[in-house]
Formats: sequence, structure tokens, C-alpha cells
Amino acid sequence: MLSGMPLSAAGGTMGGAFFLPRANLQDLLDLLREDGRRLIGPTVADEAIVYDEITSVDELPQGWGDEQGPGTYRLVRRRDGFTFGYVVGPTSWKRFTFPPVVPLTVASTVDGEVRFRTAEPEIPKLAFLGVRACELAALGVQDRVFLGGPFIETDYQLRRRATVVVAVQCTTSASTCFCTSMETGPEVRGGHDLALTEIPAGFVVEAGTPTGAELLARLPVSAARLDQSVAAVQAVAGVRAAIGNPVQTAGLRDRLMAKLDSPRWTEVAERCITCGNCTLACPTCFCINVTRRTDLAGAESISERGWDSCFSPGFAIVAGGDFRARPKDRYRQWLTHKFASWWDQFGQSGCVGCGRCITWCPVGIDVREELAAIAPAVPEPPGPPKFEPVADDRQAYATARVTHVHAETSDTTTIRLAGLDAVHAGGRPGQFGMVSLPAFPPAAISISRFLAPDGLELTIRAAGAATSAITALRPGETVGFRGPVGIGWPVEAAYGKDVVVVTGGTGLAPLRPLVDALLAERERFGQVRLYYGARTREDMLFRDELEDWDQDDAIDVTCRWLRRHQGPGGPYAGAGRSTVSAIHQASWDGSQAVAFVCGPERMMEATTIALAGHGVTRDRIYVTLERHMECGLGFCGHCQMGRFFICKDGPVFQLSDLGGTFGREGI
Amino acid sequence: MAHAPVAARPRVGVVKFASCDGCQLTLLDLEDELLSVVEHFDIVDFPEATSARSAGPYDVLFVEGSVSEPAHLERIVELRRRTRFLVTIGACATAGGIQALRNWGDHDAFRSGVYSNPEWVSSLARSTPIAEHVTVDAELRGCPIDPNQLLELLTALTTGRRPQLRDEAVCMECKRRGVVCVMVSKGIPCLGQVTQTGCGAICPRFGRGCYGCFGPREQANAAGLTRHFQMAGDRPREEIGRLFAGFTAYSEPFRSMVTELGGARTARGATTTAAEPAPRGGKA
Repeated sequence: MLSGMPLSAAGGTMGGAFFLPRANLQDLLDLLREDGRRLIGPTVADEAIVYDEITSVDELPQGWGDEQGPGTYRLVRRRDGFTFGYVVGPTSWKRFTFPPVVPLTVASTVDGEVRFRTAEPEIPKLAFLGVRACELAALGVQDRVFLGGPFIETDYQLRRRATVVVAVQCTTSASTCFCTSMETGPEVRGGHDLALTEIPAGFVVEAGTPTGAELLARLPVSAARLDQSVAAVQAVAGVRAAIGNPVQTAGLRDRLMAKLDSPRWTEVAERCITCGNCTLACPTCFCINVTRRTDLAGAESISERGWDSCFSPGFAIVAGGDFRARPKDRYRQWLTHKFASWWDQFGQSGCVGCGRCITWCPVGIDVREELAAIAPAVPEPPGPPKFEPVADDRQAYATARVTHVHAETSDTTTIRLAGLDAVHAGGRPGQFGMVSLPAFPPAAISISRFLAPDGLELTIRAAGAATSAITALRPGETVGFRGPVGIGWPVEAAYGKDVVVVTGGTGLAPLRPLVDALLAERERFGQVRLYYGARTREDMLFRDELEDWDQDDAIDVTCRWLRRHQGPGGPYAGAGRSTVSAIHQASWDGSQAVAFVCGPERMMEATTIALAGHGVTRDRIYVTLERHMECGLGFCGHCQMGRFFICKDGPVFQLSDLGGTFGREGI
Repeated sequence: MAHAPVAARPRVGVVKFASCDGCQLTLLDLEDELLSVVEHFDIVDFPEATSARSAGPYDVLFVEGSVSEPAHLERIVELRRRTRFLVTIGACATAGGIQALRNWGDHDAFRSGVYSNPEWVSSLARSTPIAEHVTVDAELRGCPIDPNQLLELLTALTTGRRPQLRDEAVCMECKRRGVVCVMVSKGIPCLGQVTQTGCGAICPRFGRGCYGCFGPREQANAAGLTRHFQMAGDRPREEIGRLFAGFTAYSEPFRSMVTELGGARTARGATTTAAEPAPRGGKA
């Protein structure tokens, strides 16, 4: 930062940097208190550094610092005797620009007629001393909310205009700070009349506005020496380094909004007390309630606005009920507003990274941890590029011998391969491989069965030249196989739960290893249901096995097929609709079910709606997606969908991870 | 709540069950408004203030105290019959009071441990809130109740609107008043997060933790707070149970915490084990 102005400790300055000796700090306080201004600054009270009215440097927290963590704040002594050697505390400046209670309207009944007049509370002239960079940003956030139009919050406007702001740059940080991530600090970059940076001998002072320049001209300052300016810049740079970058904000808005169904909301709601402390400690939260006080006779009533919280009961209540009745609804509302929908409403983040919601949460819920758990960051490039060779045999083709060929339908064939090594023959249900014959481009083919120790089966529809050549192979011939690659079905996610498998046509192929896995550990799952649709009975894969699976109630198999090709949406659509309606018509309870779905995206989308009707939420639905693949390793770029490469990040996805991209045309 | 004034000048009674009379006195503490109160309300029965008596009927009846004696069971039903709008006031009437701690103990052992002639004492095994026996139209929480909430209720009665009695956390009041959180800054266990506001956060304002005299608020996550106390404070279970075992211990979910963790003292000073209180009787 500030590469263009090395002598300036704070950004947005005018007129250069000056030095105010420590002994002259009282002169600044006296100056700020001129013209009847009340000076608000840091002072020690109730074992914390709060912002309150002060008159003398003796009231400043000289020699005090603080230690903060989730749910904990302790004052500590500083050896260096710094005056501003603390981090933001329980008070935020909104207490003075946006007071906790403000009268709005006085209504009265005079001679049988109701009359209203706007309350006009006294607006004090204030000076703020010790506003940190994140707090300047917070004032800016509330400025947009209240002064962005079309309506103007008049009371806020009057208070803001009557305030002189003296910023103090941070030369120390707490474990709860993350201004660096939210790009609000620690460097002061604007919004201040004056900015101070504390160094051992005193303060480097810079003006940010003409008002600040006028004040500066009246202070006993001298031009800051190079070493003084450098010391100030270095002190703030040290804070930046100490904080690091605790929150990955790239894409955070979209990541968070894609996770409205995350199971973490329920989990955090078990810890969250919904007390509302985070919202009232937050320097940007602006929600209010309006209450009316009446005298016993009812002749006059005064309405007042007061700080409210989206965590409080009744905040989202209407005559018919509460829109956000559950604690998890309230936590989700707060977090998604701060970090996501605030952008849509106000063009900026609602969070400035001050860390108050972390420190002042009585049970220590850390918003940074919740964000990372709910909306994990897109992984950073995994360390520096690897220039040393890394052996992954899955990347190389192995030669496999075809041992069996079985025609499943008129155009789909299962070939069994043998003679593979453990790497190529081992894998998880739902993975796929790249299958290649010389002179043909490789084809990405689902593995339809693993045959330990050295074989597997591939079920292939002859859709083009390469797949036609592969399905034409005879026993004894050889083929190249690379893989297995991709993320498979998370079988463990269904342990102890019911399972629903939904597919159509050749989509059963990547699901057969899943069925094998379910049957191998059948006792670990509750009810297992399989819905399978195909154009005709003859178009169904693994027909003999379907009957076997249905035996002994191991799996409740429901099949749907059409007598002839029909349906306006193409040959599959009719069969898909039939399968989906079979789910709609069923009466089972899916509140404890995990679903695995494979089919065309439109069919899967309709399936997820049908599943939702049974209580299967999006975080318990796994789908496998199909895209064009050239490499299967995440290099060719063909299979990109939003933030994913289907080949290496999928092809199996938790539906709640996909957000708005799933089922959308043209993605 | 009524949507029209209860009456032009409502006939008001104030009665008590098992209680200390402190909540009734709050009415007399409305010194500045007292004349206005008498102007708008016809106080027909209020032993703390006047020797005049009335058998009802009452437009508004303020009921203090818990149901604690056999005679109370019939009396509250009879009073309800003669009342249009029944308001319970205070922790005893709304939650069973501090005397409900006996609900976890041995009733007979208490009596013989405390009184030299226990046979003279006629009491029920459990102390229960009024709402467990009759329908209650409004309640004012606290030990004692808050004068501003009382005034707000009276005002609502004269104008026929809903009283604005918040059920948010005490924390909200601390934050509005600029009280530094005693739990975060001093490590003092505080029930403010799970307790209904209305007191003006008086305990945290004086540097101590809230002990829940206004009782649990809507969706009070007492279990979550307990887990935090266990993990962060490394406190023994019973000590945490004792936090909930106060004036409103018999209100859910505080009641479940006391039952689960222990913490309600018995006559001998030992603490009860994690046993269910005696089965509920009367109107459930």
C-alpha cells in the first residue's frame, strides 16, 4: 500500500505528515472541544476500553492494551505506555451517530383530532478521537444505508454532519481482527478529518479534509521527520502482517448464497443462543424497532426507534406466524446479509472485519470459522507449482485385456477388463476412466463394476466412432485404460440412513458399483429404494440383476418404461417423467434419506423436486453430471461448469454445492 | 389481549398466593403515576394499600404468588371465575418462584427439617405457577416485576392495545445501555442470553451476572449455554445446574437443566441427583 507516498502514514491525506509530541496531546483534545463540541474518546470503564465523553488525556487508556478471542476480552497492561495501544472494544461509534434509542414522532389528540409532529432531539456537536480504519469503513457502510437515498435518515444525517473524526491507525491487533481480509484496514484510507499514528515519541498527524487541515494548522506540530514517518508506516505494516488474511473473500457472496441448505446452519444454531449480541456490537448493523410510549390517558404518545436484532423473537413475525422462527433461520439471515446480500443491496460488504461479533459473542462463535465451514473457499493453488516429477499411475494408460463382452441393449455393451494393476483396478463407486484405442480419441466411461483384484467392467453406449470401436472389441483383444479418476459416490454419507437411487437409461451404469457397495454392507443402511426408467423394457440395463436386487427386500426396485418412444421433449423425456411421477406418488418419508441420482440434468432437476416432496433436502442429494471431457485431469477446460471442473471436482456433487448452476440452460 | 379497553374505569383487584408481596408493592412504587392510576382504575381490593375488600367481580385481577397450599387450588379457580382479565405478576406466579426448588426435593423432609411441628403446616408437595391451574391473560415476569412494564400493561389496558412487552434477551438491554458484557470481559457466568428482558439489565449494570429472575425467553437455548459453560468454563455439572436453579427454575427449559445437571438444594444442604421432579398435578 501507499507505494506512491512513502512519507505518508495514512492514506487520503492532504498537506503531508506532521509530528505532534506526546506532551502536546492535550492541545489536540482542547482544540477538539472548542465550539461546544463534546469529545468522545477511549477510556477504561468496567474492565474494558469503551468510548465515552472525555476531557483530559488522563482519561485516555494510557498503558492499557487488551487480549481478545472468541467470547473473551481482558484488559492487559502495556509496558510501552502507549495511549492507543489497544484494539477495538465493546463500544462502536454508531452509539453516537445512530444512538440506541431516538424519538421519532409525537402524536396527540387535540379536540378530537389526531396530530403528529416530528420529534426534534437535540443533536450534539461531537468530536470522535481514536476511530480505527475498520471503524471509518463502518461509518461509511452506515452512510450508504442511511444517506444513500431515496429516503434520508435525517437524525443520522444531522449527527454525522456535526461530527469531527480523528482517526488513529492501529499499531497493534487482536486475534479476532480480520480487516485485512475485508480490505478496510489496518491503514486509514479516508473518511477522517485527522489521522494519528502513534510512535514512541508522539504522534504522526495528517489531515484528510480541509476541516482537518484547519485543526492541524492550530496544533503545535512540526513537519514529520523521515524516521518518524517511516516508524509510523512500519508500525501499521506490522499489524497487517500480524493479521494475515483470515477470511477468503474471493467469491464469498456466491459461495455463501449457494449454501443456503448447508447442514452447518443447524449445527451452529445448536451453539448460537440467538441473544443478538453480535448484531448490537456490530458497527454496521442498522436494524431498529419502533415502539410507542403512551401516557395512561392515551392523550399523547411518543414513538421511538431502538436498536433491534434479526435474532430477536418477533423480528420477522406477521399475523400468520414467524418467517424466521428457527434459530438457524436467524443465524443464516444474519450471516448471509453481512457477507452476501449486503453487496446486492449496497454494493459493498456489510462486514468490516473488526471482530466484535467474535469477541462479544458470549459463547464464542467465530464468524470466520463458520464462513470457512459453510462456504469453503475455492482452494488456493495447492502450493507452489511442482516441477519435480510426481508419480501417479492413474495418469498413464495401462493395457487391459477384454475377457467378456455382453450386449445389454441394442446399442449398449458391457465389456469386462482384466490384467490391470491395483491402481487402475481399484477405486470408488461413481468414478470413471478414460478408455482409448489407438487412432481414436479417448472416451470418458463410467466404471460399472469393480472386480478385484485386477479387473473392472465398463458399460458403454455406442454413441460415436470411438465408443463404437470399443464396444466392438472381442474377448482376448486389448484396450488402453487410464484412471479411475473423479470423485465417487459418498457411500459413507448414507450410513445409518435410508437410501434412494434414481436413474434412467444408461445412467444405471455408474450407479451399479454403488448398488454393489450398498448390498455388501446392507445392514448399515435403512430402506433402500431404486427408481429406474427406460424408453422400453429392452432398453434397461442389467435386467437380471434388477430382479436379484429386488429379492428378499434388499432393495425396493421400481421400474418404469414406455411401450414406444414418445414425449415431446425427446426420446428420454417420457420415461424420465414417468419415473419422477412414480416418486411423487410414493408415500415414504425421506427425512432420513440420502439420494443418489444419475440422468439427464432436466430429469435430475425434476427428481430433486420430487425428492424434496418427501423431505430429502439438497444437502442429502448427490448427482453425477456429464460434460465433454478431453483429458479427465482438469487441464483441458472442456468440462468446466461454474467453479468446477466436472472431471476432477466431480462428476458426483452434493446438490447443495452446485447452487444456481445446476439445471440452468447454457452453463 | 383485549383489543378494546377492558372497561371505562376497570375494577381492579390485587391478590396474593405464596409470595413475599414485593411485586404488589411495585404498584405502590409508581409514585409519579399513582394519582393517574387511581383516576383510570377503580382499585377495589388491594390489601397492601387499603383495608377495603371486594369479592369481585374484577375487570382486571393481578395475581401474585404461586400455588403452594391445598386451599390455593380451589381459591385460584374461584378467582378466575370472577375475573375478566387475569394478570400474573412476578416469578412466583409465573414460574412457581424460589419455593419451587422444593419440587426436586423430599417435601416431608423439608417440612420436618424446617418446622418443629410439621403437622401444623399445610402445603403441597410442589409449588406451581398460576398458569398450571387456570388460564392467564397476561403475565409480568421478574422478582420483583418492573414498574415500567407494569405501567405499560396498565396503559395498554386503558387504550385496548397489546402491551409492548419484549421477550428478547437481557443482552439486548445491556448493549443498548452500553453495559460491558460481564461474561466476555470478566468471565462471570450470566443467564442474560436465555432470559427474557424487562428488568433493564439491572444485574449486569452492577457488574454481576443475570440469574434469570425474569425467566426463560422465547426459544431459550439453555442447552447450548450449558454446553458452553461446560466446555469454556470447565465448571462442574452441578454448579451449572445451580445457575438455573433460581427464582424461575421450574420454567422450561431451565427446569430440564436443573433436572439434568442437579443443583436444586435439599433440606440437608446436599443437592438432589438428576431425578425428575414429582409428577405434575392439576391443570397441565
